[in-house]
Amino acid sequence: MQTFFQTLTTGLSDGSIYGSLALALVLIYKATEVINFAQGEMAMFTTYIAWALMGHGSTFEWWAFFATLGIAFIGGAALQQTVIRPLERASVLTAVMATIALLVILNGLAAWIWSPQLQFFPSPFPTSSWVIGGVHISKQDAGTFGVVMACVLILWLFFRFTKLGLAMRAGALNPGAARLMGVRASWLLALGWGFAAALGAVSGMMVAPTVFLTPNMMQAVLIYAFAAAILGGLESPVGAIAGGLSLGVLLNMLGEYVHPVTTELRLPVALGILLVVLLVKPAGLFGRVVVRRV
Amino acid sequence: MRKTFLLIVAALAVTAVVGATAGARPTATPGVTAKSILLEGTYPLSGPASGYAPIPVGMGAYFSYVNAKGGVNGRKINWHYEDDGYNPANTVQITHKFVEQDHAFALVGGLGTEPQLAVRQYLNDNKVPQLFVATGATTFDRDYAQYPWTIGWQPDYEAEGSIYGKYVVANMPNAKIGVLYQNDSYGNDYMRGFKAGLRSHQSQIITAQPYDLSATTPPAVQMAKIKASGADTLVLFATPTPTIQAYVIGTKLGYKPANVITNSVSATDAFLTIAEKSGSNIVEGSLSVEYTLDPANPIYNKLPGMKLYRSIMAKYAPKANANDGLNLYGVAKAWNVVQLLSKLGKNPTRAGLMAAARKMTFAPGKKNANPFLLQGVSTFTKGSFQYPITQVKLVKYVNHVFQPQGKLIAGRGALR
Amino acid sequence: MKRLGNPIALAVLVLAVIAAPFVFSNYRTYQLAFVGLYLVALLGLDILTGFTGQISLGHGAFMGIGAYTTTILVVDHGVRDLWTIPLGGVAAGIIGLAFGIPATRFAGPYLALATFAIPLAFIGILKRYPHFTGGNVGKNLPQLHSELGWHTNPSIWFYVVCWVVALVMLPLAFLIVRGRFGRAMRSVRDSEIAAAANGVSTAGVKTLAFGISAFFCGVAGSLYAIGITYVNPDTFPIDLSILLLVGIVLGGAGSLYGMLFGALFVEFIRISWGPALLDLFSRVHHIDTHAPGSGLVVYGVVLLLVLYAAPAGAAGLARGLAGRPAFLRRKEDPSLSDPGLV
Repeated sequence: MQTFFQTLTTGLSDGSIYGSLALALVLIYKATEVINFAQGEMAMFTTYIAWALMGHGSTFEWWAFFATLGIAFIGGAALQQTVIRPLERASVLTAVMATIALLVILNGLAAWIWSPQLQFFPSPFPTSSWVIGGVHISKQDAGTFGVVMACVLILWLFFRFTKLGLAMRAGALNPGAARLMGVRASWLLALGWGFAAALGAVSGMMVAPTVFLTPNMMQAVLIYAFAAAILGGLESPVGAIAGGLSLGVLLNMLGEYVHPVTTELRLPVALGILLVVLLVKPAGLFGRVVVRRV
Repeated sequence: MRKTFLLIVAALAVTAVVGATAGARPTATPGVTAKSILLEGTYPLSGPASGYAPIPVGMGAYFSYVNAKGGVNGRKINWHYEDDGYNPANTVQITHKFVEQDHAFALVGGLGTEPQLAVRQYLNDNKVPQLFVATGATTFDRDYAQYPWTIGWQPDYEAEGSIYGKYVVANMPNAKIGVLYQNDSYGNDYMRGFKAGLRSHQSQIITAQPYDLSATTPPAVQMAKIKASGADTLVLFATPTPTIQAYVIGTKLGYKPANVITNSVSATDAFLTIAEKSGSNIVEGSLSVEYTLDPANPIYNKLPGMKLYRSIMAKYAPKANANDGLNLYGVAKAWNVVQLLSKLGKNPTRAGLMAAARKMTFAPGKKNANPFLLQGVSTFTKGSFQYPITQVKLVKYVNHVFQPQGKLIAGRGALR
Repeated sequence: MKRLGNPIALAVLVLAVIAAPFVFSNYRTYQLAFVGLYLVALLGLDILTGFTGQISLGHGAFMGIGAYTTTILVVDHGVRDLWTIPLGGVAAGIIGLAFGIPATRFAGPYLALATFAIPLAFIGILKRYPHFTGGNVGKNLPQLHSELGWHTNPSIWFYVVCWVVALVMLPLAFLIVRGRFGRAMRSVRDSEIAAAANGVSTAGVKTLAFGISAFFCGVAGSLYAIGITYVNPDTFPIDLSILLLVGIVLGGAGSLYGMLFGALFVEFIRISWGPALLDLFSRVHHIDTHAPGSGLVVYGVVLLLVLYAAPAGAAGLARGLAGRPAFLRRKEDPSLSDPGLV
């Protein structure tokens, strides 16, 4: 029973990280129909910025966390306006290719600026555990889950209760009509990228203590985020979070309890399960299947 | 139709421009001109293995130092290296370029077991020296008869593993050992040596957990199994990232082995400090081995080798982190290369280079030992003994630094 | 004859291919051999992505399947390498078909992300069964050497093999693309609804396109193994699949001759152009050309610049801005064409 709760908390913690990155992907996809392959590297790059702000130190500084969120937001919006917007007129494939170019550039740039050497990134939470009835609950896992969920909640409140949030939702749902109502579509896209970048930064800063800071640290997380986004349905923000959490728990439970699943098969098995889910629900758990009348 | 035509013509034009870049004009001995010798190597400057990027930087610094003093026998060393991203397919193409276009004199210090395995046959077939590969995979030293143009340099993993095995037998004959090893030639070489060193005590290994190096999964399941087995001695034959993860996961699981042995590649102050900061409390007291000077440990600062190293780094690679042992590894290897080149005299040949590499004696006894290696370590090859460096010292991680313990250990027996 | 593509263009290409080894050095010839091999792979991916509109991020794995098929047959069973080339294609093609069957249920981005799983699963399987695949250590193939009684430099031999295969696969690609099946593919790409309404089995088309593209990549993979003389999981990373996609976009998705450009880019960017550009740049403004990551930055920036200059690839440039096919025109506002919201 102890291992069950331990595995569950680790699963929820991992899952929250996948979910927040998945949410970033969904935000951009909903607005532009483009999958931002650079999402992981943007998260990694902003995490390096946080590390630089903290003076490469050993203690986490909350001011640097919030400053990085701001920098990520501005950076994300800027990237959308400068790099992506000129190519939006071209095909989806070209836009996707642009995000891939961005991925490559950010990865190389991080290695160039900060060297590829593995670095320590501090966690805001202590590495000890609470012991409740014999069960070890890692403070770091619980804290990570809390921080990510808090950010997601704040974002949800923003979308739900502010005029700008409403405008963004409208713009994503029906760009034509929104434009007719006076909503500036292009700025909305920039904002969408900004929020996505900020979410990615949260994801990166929360995961860096466990995977250690290197230019390639987000690659695995990105794969899981893709899986989570698909699992939840690419058009559903709720789905992204739900997908992330379920995936995190599923992966950890699989690794713990199902022994033929050796570590090198963990990811392919998880992807296999994902594909099976998609066969049953092709638009993901929360996605809406667009009924096409032929 | 016109479009297709245009495309073809344009493609041809591109090809012509691209292809027209002339290669180096071949000289009598490839790579050797009146004023220079061309040495080239492939290194992972991007991708997951790019942490090793300081090695060629250190090598370049030493070569610059030598060039500033006039070079070797009147020739400057021209050191050039390129990124293969640890993808053997890239290594093959770049190596072809080095041999067929640049006409390098020798390929030096190529990094990575698999990348170098991919080009070994090609280099041997073309009689190009594959000198001092940067990997401890035993095959590069052991199989000299089949691959006469290939030689390693650092203590090989099998020898290192056997040192740990013998240490266990001598010092902890009743220890219960749990091993975490990478499931490839790296980890398997270590395991093979470890078991050989344990000899009749192999039953002390009560569990051996392989894991696959992958970005997506830390070795958590394996660590749990090692803890569950009740092993009081943890042995880590893993590359740096999984090693650090193992330390951290171990503590998370509440595992506290009495002893931890870590392979030398992962046992650097930098990596173990990260493990400690990440919450591991089983790092102190970790044992490993060392054969080069450690720039992160101040006890070596007074040694002439360390002083020379620091001055070279300050002058020729000022932006590099001189406390990173990988730079020193590069400098130490470059020293060796220069020693060989100077022996070749006015007319170096590739065959001459390999002959010199196969008959090296750089020993304290002869007062010509490599100053960047630990005192007492010889670089020695002769006849059927083609393992250049086999002596190491045991080190113990105390107060964030690896402190040497005891005397030199000969990983492959006494040197005759 | 029209169905095999412009005959004059083909003739020019054949002449160029024959002339190249006489003009270029052995090393360049070796590289141009890879250009031919990548051409085959890109033709395959183009059939799936450019002509049928299905984005795949996993085709490097199909190359890997072809490569490992060849390797295992040659190294473990002594089969002559040339005979394994079609076998590598067939093996990859069968797995492509098998993947294609369930994959037809996924739309656009879901499919792209699902294909991402293929190389990961492939690498996982390679490592899981080391006795069969050589695991991480991989397998060495015999060094390149001329065969069939012809004595020439191995690089030239390899070049000939690759281009003979490429010059067979190119007309084959044209046949596929210009025939009835090609029309069916393009109809699925342009509008699945309209295609279905016209009686095209969209699922069948997509599955077959998957199989065909995998076959092409498998053939290219076999050649890859023969040329590199070594395979292991590191030789087929995700980067390769992405590089193939880059190749078809830069060449011009939906164009076959455009793939020549794509193949040139794929082969030369990392190994030759990247370092050369860095070198050039460092003469203007001093930078450390060996700095880790610098090569990647150059690659990414070049990619972006080419995308801006030629969003529809080389083929798009050649085509001129007028008359771009619908596929390459930005999708219109869905709201305006969505019947549900009127």
